[in-house]
Amino acid sequence: MPKLTIDGREVEVEAGKTILQAALTLGREIPHYCYHPGLSIAGNCRMCLVEVEKAPKLLIACDTRVQDGMVVNTDNQRVRDARASMMEFFLINHPLDCPICDQAGECRLQEYATEHGRGTSRFVEVKNISEKAVDIGPHVMLDQERCIQCSRCIRFCEEVTGTGELNFFRRGQRTVIGVFPERPLDNGYSGNVVDICPVGALTLKEFRFQTRVWYLDNTPSICAGCARGCNIIVSVGTQRELMGTQGQLDESVKRLVPRFNEEVNGHWMCDEGRLSYQRLYSAPRIERAQHPAGTVVPWADAVSAAASALKSAAGKVAVLLSSRTTSEDMLAWRMLLEKLGGDTIGVRANHRGDDDDLLIRADKGANSRGAAWIFGEGATEDAVLDALLLGRVEALVVVGDPLDPVDTANLEARVREKIANVIHVGPFVAGTAESAAVVLPAAAWSEQDGTMANFEGRIQRVRRCHLPQGEGRPGWRVVRDLAEAAGIEMPPWTSYVEVLDSLAEQVEEYRGLDAESIGLLGAKVGAGTAT
Amino acid sequence: MERILTRNIHKDDSQSVSVYEAGGGYQSLRKALKMDPDNIQEEVKRSGLRGRGGAGFPMGVKFSFMPKDGDKPMYLICNADESEPGTFKDRVIIEKDPHLMLEGCLISSFAIRARACFIYIRGEYVHGARVLEKAIQEAYDKGYAGKNILGSGYDCELVLHRGAGAYICGEETSLMTSLEGNRGYPRLKPPFPAQAGLWGRPTTINNVETLANVPFIIDRGADWYLTLGKPPNNTGPKLYCLSGHVKRPGVYEAPMGLPLKELIYDLGGGMLHDDRPLKAVIPGGSSVPVLRAEQCDVDLDYDSLAAIGTMLGSAGVMVMDSSTCMVKAIERITRFYAHESCGQCTPCREGCGWLEKILTRIEAGQGRQEDMGLLENIADNIQGQTICPLGDAAAMPVRSFVQQFRSEFQEHVDSKTCTVAHAQAHD
Amino acid sequence: MLGQEFEAKVDEIVSRYPEPKAALLMLLWEVQERKGWVDLESEVWIAERLGVSPAHVHGTVTFYTMYKQKPSGKYHIQVCTGLSCMLRGSDNLMDHLEKRLGIKEGETTPDGKFSLIRVECLGSCGTAPMFQLNDDYHEDLTLEKVDRLLDGLD
Repeated sequence: MPKLTIDGREVEVEAGKTILQAALTLGREIPHYCYHPGLSIAGNCRMCLVEVEKAPKLLIACDTRVQDGMVVNTDNQRVRDARASMMEFFLINHPLDCPICDQAGECRLQEYATEHGRGTSRFVEVKNISEKAVDIGPHVMLDQERCIQCSRCIRFCEEVTGTGELNFFRRGQRTVIGVFPERPLDNGYSGNVVDICPVGALTLKEFRFQTRVWYLDNTPSICAGCARGCNIIVSVGTQRELMGTQGQLDESVKRLVPRFNEEVNGHWMCDEGRLSYQRLYSAPRIERAQHPAGTVVPWADAVSAAASALKSAAGKVAVLLSSRTTSEDMLAWRMLLEKLGGDTIGVRANHRGDDDDLLIRADKGANSRGAAWIFGEGATEDAVLDALLLGRVEALVVVGDPLDPVDTANLEARVREKIANVIHVGPFVAGTAESAAVVLPAAAWSEQDGTMANFEGRIQRVRRCHLPQGEGRPGWRVVRDLAEAAGIEMPPWTSYVEVLDSLAEQVEEYRGLDAESIGLLGAKVGAGTAT
Repeated sequence: MERILTRNIHKDDSQSVSVYEAGGGYQSLRKALKMDPDNIQEEVKRSGLRGRGGAGFPMGVKFSFMPKDGDKPMYLICNADESEPGTFKDRVIIEKDPHLMLEGCLISSFAIRARACFIYIRGEYVHGARVLEKAIQEAYDKGYAGKNILGSGYDCELVLHRGAGAYICGEETSLMTSLEGNRGYPRLKPPFPAQAGLWGRPTTINNVETLANVPFIIDRGADWYLTLGKPPNNTGPKLYCLSGHVKRPGVYEAPMGLPLKELIYDLGGGMLHDDRPLKAVIPGGSSVPVLRAEQCDVDLDYDSLAAIGTMLGSAGVMVMDSSTCMVKAIERITRFYAHESCGQCTPCREGCGWLEKILTRIEAGQGRQEDMGLLENIADNIQGQTICPLGDAAAMPVRSFVQQFRSEFQEHVDSKTCTVAHAQAHD
Repeated sequence: MLGQEFEAKVDEIVSRYPEPKAALLMLLWEVQERKGWVDLESEVWIAERLGVSPAHVHGTVTFYTMYKQKPSGKYHIQVCTGLSCMLRGSDNLMDHLEKRLGIKEGETTPDGKFSLIRVECLGSCGTAPMFQLNDDYHEDLTLEKVDRLLDGLD
C-alpha cells in the first residue's frame, strides 16, 4: 500500500485513495465544499488545494490519488494563501444574508471564512444578483444568490435518485441552479439536497425560520417511518421566549436529518421519513390517565382499575400492539400476558405502497422484524379480532402507535360495541383512546429509549430526545405498574437497559447484545454471538 | 516563398474535391494507407510539428499517447472551434481548402487507428459548416472516407458537429463534454484524453491548421519539413493572423519564425495611420502577454516569444497604435473572458467577473490607487488554481497590461479620465 | 412535434453518434432552424427523445449563447465587439446601428424586423469591423456600407 507523508506525518492507505481521504484517516479534514463521499468527484470549488512536493502547481486533494513517497503540505503559507484567496472569491458575490439565513451556525462559508479567510473585504463593486426564495419543490426553497455552485445537489439528483431535476443554467458568473419550469424537485428524497448544500441556498420549507440551529438539542436515533430504520439525528428545540410559546420551553422536534450508516441508509433518508416527526403534532396528546376516556383520574386509580380488569379477565386477555412498538415494550407485554395466562397477542401490520430502489420499504412497521422474533409469525391483528368475535376476549389492551395517531382509528370502529373492557396505552387522543374504559398515557417514538429491528434484522437504538408529555412514560413502565397493581411478579426493571438485558436472555436474536454493542450503528442479528 | 498551406485558397472553386485532386490532393492519403500507422506517427514526430491551436504541444508526441491496441474504439477530434480573439486562420482553410483539412484528418485518424473523426466547428462559422458538409459528402463519394477507404480495409467516419457559441469549447476536455451533449465544462485531468476521452474512449484532439500540415509531411517527408522555419523545435509553414491598426490585415503564410516587424511593415503594409506609430502588439491571441513597441524586434515562433515572456499561441497578431487606450483594451479583453468563463470553478467564475468590474470602473474614471495592485493579486489568485487554462488566459493579459502600461493606469486613476484618444472607425 | 420530416432528420442525426445524448446540440440547431428559436416545448420533446431530463436540456440551451430562448427580429444583427474589431471602430458601428434602428443593443424593433446584439470575436479580425446578419458575415464595414445593406432589406 502506498505510504505518504502529510504535514510531516506518515500514513499508509490503499492505492486509489485520494489525499483528502488519506488525510481523514489521520483525523485531518482538508477544507472542501464540493466533495461528498456519497457522490462523484467534481473538483470545482478549489478549496482543497494542497501542496504536493515536486508538483509545480497546487493540486486539489479530493481528486489527487496518493503515490508512494508523496509528500503533502496542507497547512503551509502557500496553501493558506490559496485557501484565503478561494474564500475571498466565494464571498465577493455572496449576499450578506446571515441574519436571516437558516444555515447560520452550520454554514461552511461561515466556518471556513472564520478559520481560513482574509478577514476583510477588498470588493467594492456591485454584487451579482439573482432570484431569492424560489419555490422549487414541495419541501425545498432555493436562494440562487447564496449558491456557491458546488454542484452537490445536481449530482445527487443525477446519481442517487436518477431524476435530474436540478441543473445549472446560464454561464460564468451568471450561473445559477434551478429546475425546469413546472418540473419541481419532487422525487421523494428532495430533502437530502438541503443536507448536502454547504450554504443556505437550499433550505427545507418545514424548517425555514423555525429556530436557530444553536438552540437545537441533537440526539442520534432511528427513523420509525418504515422498516428500514434510517439512522438519523433528532433535533429538539430548546428555545424559550419564541413567539407563541409565552415563555414556555419549546421542546418540540424541529427536524430530522440523516446520519451516515453504510449498512442501512448510506448518507440519505426519504422525505416521508424526514417529515414523519410532524405526525407527533397532528393529534392532541394524552397527558393524564383517564377512567373512562375523558375523565381524568389519578394515575394509581386508573392503573388499579385496569389491573383488576385484566385480573378478572385472566386467560381471556388480548393485547394488540403497533409494529412500531419497541422490542422492550413488546417483551414486557408478552411477559405480562404469559403470567395472566392468555396467548392472544397480535401486532397491527402497516403496509403501504411498494419497496423502492433506494430506501423506502412498503412495510411501515419499524419493528416488524422484532415483533416476528418476539411473538412469532402468527401474531396478527386478524388473529386478535377473530378471537374477539369468537367471544374469547374479555379485556383488550390496545397499544397505540408511538408515531402515528391515525393508526387506531379503523380499529376503534371495529372493536366498539364488541367489547367494553378496552385499555388504551399510547401517546395520542385518537382511535380507541377516545372510547376506552381506561386510558394510560405512554411515551411517543421520540420520548423513550428502546430498540427496534429493521427489515434486514439489524437491531438499532431508538433514543429519548425529550421528556414525555404529561404523565406519559415508556410502555414497559406501564406494564410494570399494571403488574404490580395486579400482584403479578415481573423483573424489577428500573431502566431500559435492564429490559434490554431481559431481551438478551429471552429472545434468541438478541443474545449477547447490550446497549454498548448495539451502539450508534446497530448490530446485525447474531452479532452478539459471533465468535 | 512557396505557398504550402495556402496553395489552393485563391483558386476558383477551391473547395471542390476535383480542384483539390487536380493539385495533387489525396495522394498523401493514398501513400499513408500503405504505411504502418506507427511509421506515420514517427514521421510526424520527427518533423517537429507542434500544435497550432495555442499550446504548441508536439503533435507526434501527442499521437504516441494513444494505445496501440485494445478493443476500445478510438477517435480523432478536429478542433475547429477557433474562437481566440485575433485568430481567423482555421477559417481560411475550412472555407477555402476544406479537403486539405479532411485529408489531414483522415491520415491522422489512420495513424492513431481511430474509427471516426469528429469535426467540432464553432457555431458562428455557418458558412464554413456548409462548405465542410459538402466537402465531407464529396470525400465519401470518392471513397476517401467511410468503409474500406481506397480499398485499404481501413474504415473511418467523418462526423461534423456544430458548437453554439462558447469559446471554452475550444479547450479539449470541454470540447469532448460539449460533443457528448452537455454544458461545455472542462474535465479534471488525469485521466487524459488519450486514456479516457470521448465516452471514456482514447481520443486525440488536434487543431485544424495542425492537421492541415500532415498531408505535406507524409508527401514530402519530415526531412523536407525540417528545412522550413527554425529547426528543430520551430518548424514548418505557419499561418499568421494580422489584425488591428495595420493597412493590410489578413492571414499570411510564412515559414515559422517570421519576424514580427516584417509581418507588420512588409506583409501588412505598415501602420494604418502614418502619424500613429506602433504602441503595443499582442502576438498570439488575446490570452498571451502584450508586448510594448520596443519589444517587437522578435521572431514569431514558439521559443523566441517564450524567451521574452509571451507566447506564439494561436498566432493572432493584434497591432495597437498610439491612439489606443490600453486600459480600454484590457477592459475589452477581460470582458471577453468573463463572458466566456464556463463558471465551473470558483477562481475563474468569480475572479474574471471581479477583474471585469474593476477595469470597467477604472476606465469610467472611478479607479482607486489600490486597484492596480488588486488586479495583479486577483490575477495571481486565479492563475494555476483553476480546472482549465481559461483562468490563466484571463489572468496573464491583465497582469501584463498593468505591468507594461502602468503609467496609463496611474493616469486613469489620478486624473479620472482617459488621456489617450480612443481609436475611431474611419468611414 | 415538428412533423415527420423533422423526426426522420432527428433519427438520422442520432445515428451518427455512439451515444444518443451527443445529438443534443445538433437537434437544438434543427429546432432553431425551423422555429427560429428554442421553446420550452421543444426542450421537453428533445429531452424525452434522448433520455435526459428537461433540466439537462435547458441547462445546455442556456449555456450556449447562440441558442435563442425567444424569437429575435427577422434580421438578427450580431455585432462583433472583440478587441480587433474595437480597434477598427466597432463601438462606432454599434452606436450607428442603435441610432439608425432606434433601439439599444439587446433589443428588437417594435415591428419585429431587426434585433441587435453584441457578440464576442467572430473570427473575422482581418476584415474588421464586421457583423453577422442571421447566418452571414458582413465584413469590412463602413457606415455607408451598413446603411446600403439595411436599405436593401425588406
